[in-house]
Amino acid sequence: MPESDAQHLTFKLVYYGPAQSGKTTNLLRLHDLLAPELKGEVMTMETKDDRTLFFDLLPLGFRAPSGLLIKFRLFTVPGQVAHDGTRKAVLSRADGVVFVADADRAQETNNGESFQSLADNCARVGLDFEHLAMVVQFNKCDLPGAVPETEIRERWSAAPWPLVFAIALNGQGVETTFELLIRTVYRNFCQKLKLQSAHGLSEDAFVAGALGKNA
Amino acid sequence: MTLSFDHEWRLDELLDGASQEKIGPALGELLGGDFSITDDAGRTLWGQPVPEARREPLILELEPVGYLLSRTASAAALIAARNLMHVLLRAEIRFKMASTLHLESVAEDFESLKREHARLIESEARYKTLSAELEARVKKQVGDLEERKQMLYEAEKLASVGQLAAGMAHEINNPLGFVRSNLSTFEKYLGKFAELKSHPGSLAESWQRLDLDFILEDSVDLLHDSAKGMERIARIVADLKAFSNVDRASEEYTDLNHCLREAVSMVEAQMPPGVHFRFDLLPLPSIVCLPGHINQLFFNVIRNAVLAIADSGRPGEVKISSEADEAGIHIRIHDSGVGMTAEQIEHAFEPFYTTRPVGSGVGLGLATARNVVQAHSGRISLDSQPDVGTTVSLFFPTPP
Ligand SMILES: Nc1nc2c(ncn2[C@@H]2O[C@H](COP(=O)(O)OP(=O)(O)OP(=O)(O)O)[C@@H](O)[C@H]2O)c(=O)[nH]1
Ligand SMILES: [Mg+2]
Repeated sequence: MPESDAQHLTFKLVYYGPAQSGKTTNLLRLHDLLAPELKGEVMTMETKDDRTLFFDLLPLGFRAPSGLLIKFRLFTVPGQVAHDGTRKAVLSRADGVVFVADADRAQETNNGESFQSLADNCARVGLDFEHLAMVVQFNKCDLPGAVPETEIRERWSAAPWPLVFAIALNGQGVETTFELLIRTVYRNFCQKLKLQSAHGLSEDAFVAGALGKNA
Repeated sequence: MTLSFDHEWRLDELLDGASQEKIGPALGELLGGDFSITDDAGRTLWGQPVPEARREPLILELEPVGYLLSRTASAAALIAARNLMHVLLRAEIRFKMASTLHLESVAEDFESLKREHARLIESEARYKTLSAELEARVKKQVGDLEERKQMLYEAEKLASVGQLAAGMAHEINNPLGFVRSNLSTFEKYLGKFAELKSHPGSLAESWQRLDLDFILEDSVDLLHDSAKGMERIARIVADLKAFSNVDRASEEYTDLNHCLREAVSMVEAQMPPGVHFRFDLLPLPSIVCLPGHINQLFFNVIRNAVLAIADSGRPGEVKISSEADEAGIHIRIHDSGVGMTAEQIEHAFEPFYTTRPVGSGVGLGLATARNVVQAHSGRISLDSQPDVGTTVSLFFPTPP
């Protein structure tokens, strides 16, 4: 459930996935691509050899017609297996998750294990994995060893989550991923938070505000 | 509840009293004497804000967490000082978030460890009850098995006793049958002699008419035959008595050659065709033993030898030899029968191991044999080749 008071509503969105799949890259590109009313710097915590040790954080925000300030705090988790405790702590209280998988065929096992850890950790931190807003992104589609899109779609055809094929390195698919996520987030919380009724926010307006683009 | 790493940090959490004391005087110097700091709700952290002071927001993420105010500083100086504070606050929030997250993740790891530990304890407990259950089950099964084995053993014993009895019954019935028929014929013959009294005419004439010459001759034959039959029955009963030792239950000085012959005569009672015995028995010293048991032992081994030949479907020979040296008595019972495979030899001494249908009463043969041999401090061994034959070697020590 997003944190809220009379003037603020904060959604916590977490980029989850195996090590080196491109979570941090997603955040960096989003920072460049999006132009919402309010945009903070990417806060990158300690890293070692370019690998996230704690988390990265990108804050975004816009004001609803009602005057309510809607904030998005985008976090990345450290993908390395060893940091599971940190991953759990960062995942706690998430309102939406992007699972960034590595399309490289050699990474299939890592993807699978990470996805399983996401499901397990959701249960541990009290998130309802079944109803969690989530988008699955297959990144690094530019790699020669990437699993073809048709094959991945085939394999995930029974899954309820939207799939995005991305090349985060050049920004491709990054914005779409984010947009699909906040659309699901909007649908999940519209009623409970009276986004439409009390704050005059339609889904498209919500998305436009977050992306900083006219719908 | 402690605050989580990702809560929105307030200015007073980032700038505690101690750090205010450190940066306050420096900022005062830079800002021309007067400055103050308030948080986003307007509470004063440092100095005395006045409405006419210049004001710059302190922003960490999106919104101001507080303001830097000064009456004395130029706009540029205030902005420069504010930027300096941004650097300071960002370093501070990074440190605070990282250390709080670190604590959370350590706590989380600790929780996982505890969960893991609880799981281990639970699985250990499960394992313990499981192993206890298993032990009880195994005990019960072993008990059941022992009981079954005992029952089988009894059944086998009964079967072999029954077989022996059947053999004996057949042996006794045979002579019994013809003795009975002889006697009834003889009774009729006596009737003929009785007729002689009431027969008209001379005695010689009547004798002739009644064919009493033949009847007399045949009667003598009948009685002879019957006597032989009775003798045969007597011998069988004597053999059986000697064999089972009903009247010799205790240890005695015994000649094992004698026991071998007794056993052979018992086996001969149920001999299949085509089997012959050959003896090569050298004089033996008498040893102290339980003759009843020894007889049973030899009977089992010799009967196996005979059956092995019968199984081969060829005529064959059982060769029984004995000799003595300083150490003791060596007995070999060799047959030219079907022989045994290595696997059969390995199991041969196990009770109930048999190559024949259960109930045919041989399962206990070699196991019993070995028990008896061991009770006499002896040894028994098998040497066999399929289709060639088997040799059972027995050794009984003699006291020095
Ligand atoms: N070829 C290719 N490389 C990419 C792509 N996206 C990211 N990378 C590279 O993959 C490496 C890892 O990217 P990061 O964004 O640091 O990965 P991460 O998921 O944050 O990794 P951790 O912090 O260790 O969990 C970097 O060298 C990126 O440049 C892509 O679309 N294609
Ligand atoms: Mg990273």
